[in-house]
Amino acid sequence: MRTICPLAFIAAALMAAPLAQAHHSFAAEFDINKPVKVTGVVTKLEWQNPHIWYYVDVKNDDGSVTNWAFSGSSPIQLMRRGIRKNVLEPGMIITVEGSRAKDGSNNAGGSKVTFQDGRSVFTTVADDPNEKKN
Amino acid sequence: MTRPVAIISLFVALIGCLAAETPAGIPRTTDGKPNFTGIYEWPKSAGDKCDCSATIFDKKSIGQLKPGGEPFFEKPTGDPRHDEPRDFCMPAGFPSGMLAAYAIQIFQSKEYFVLIHEFQRMSRIVPLDGRKHREELEPSFYGDPVGHWEGDTLVIETTNFKRWSLDDHFYMNPNESRMHSDALRTIEHIRWKDAKTLSYLLTIDDPKIFSAPWSQEFTMKARPDWDSTGLMEYECQENNRCPAGHCQGH
Repeated sequence: MRTICPLAFIAAALMAAPLAQAHHSFAAEFDINKPVKVTGVVTKLEWQNPHIWYYVDVKNDDGSVTNWAFSGSSPIQLMRRGIRKNVLEPGMIITVEGSRAKDGSNNAGGSKVTFQDGRSVFTTVADDPNEKKN
Repeated sequence: MTRPVAIISLFVALIGCLAAETPAGIPRTTDGKPNFTGIYEWPKSAGDKCDCSATIFDKKSIGQLKPGGEPFFEKPTGDPRHDEPRDFCMPAGFPSGMLAAYAIQIFQSKEYFVLIHEFQRMSRIVPLDGRKHREELEPSFYGDPVGHWEGDTLVIETTNFKRWSLDDHFYMNPNESRMHSDALRTIEHIRWKDAKTLSYLLTIDDPKIFSAPWSQEFTMKARPDWDSTGLMEYECQENNRCPAGHCQGH
């Protein structure tokens, strides 16, 4: 016979909890109020914990080149989302949208990567505020 | 001042009745116990479809604050090592780390129940031989767990924690952390909910902060398809380049 438990009703009434980003919060390192959108050539990929980093040479208006570094999620989380190391290879031309590091350097939280053929991928998890906006 | 024993007894009785039923066809060990050995998703709240990276406690399940008790909510101090310790690869602790969105592998024997979490390679080794909590240990981030069987439900009681963040609430609201005290006692009830899903009922008993224990039920989905990779390596210091937003190495 099924037991009726008051706590079961309480549990059933629970709403889905809001969720958060692993390792550290987005706000710990990046400023959502400093959006970054650049297009350039991938120069390097660090597929390492706790976050991947990928580097992009971006040509400035005066002809100089700035190397930007973008942080993504962990290799484990990306792999479990079906995103593998070969998603970003040196020489690829990509557009990256994200948020600049709080120290104002040319580092950023890279959220959305768009490839030349129009495909796009998020290199972060779904609680990245930039991903939430899309 | 201690809380009325009757309240705690009633609460434990209610928890017990939640764990009453066992679905047919669950795996069992040779001695007849439910067999939880395998790889699972992290605990998720009911109806959670988010591809996010940690679960936090639902505010509806959090118990009433004790009048005059230790603060549950703590504002940032300005010291990033205090406000965001994991950004410096400090431990998540329990229960916060248990809720991170990574795989959990369980190994079970008659004597021990072992949970290894992919995030920070958190490992919890739970004796099942009836021993009591160790009294000589200093408080720790993950506490001192002991387990026992109540029918087909595994019950783990953990004590002796350091004061630390209860969960990752501060990721969603950078203006406050939800803390537990050093008096925290957690009780986990683990059982098969169906042939592919564990019920993970987590009780928070923190008499310095709450008037009474409170619980939230999560589910953990079995992922035998993750056996092919097993748990992957997580070394936080390998490339932690921007602690507190101060980026290095570029």
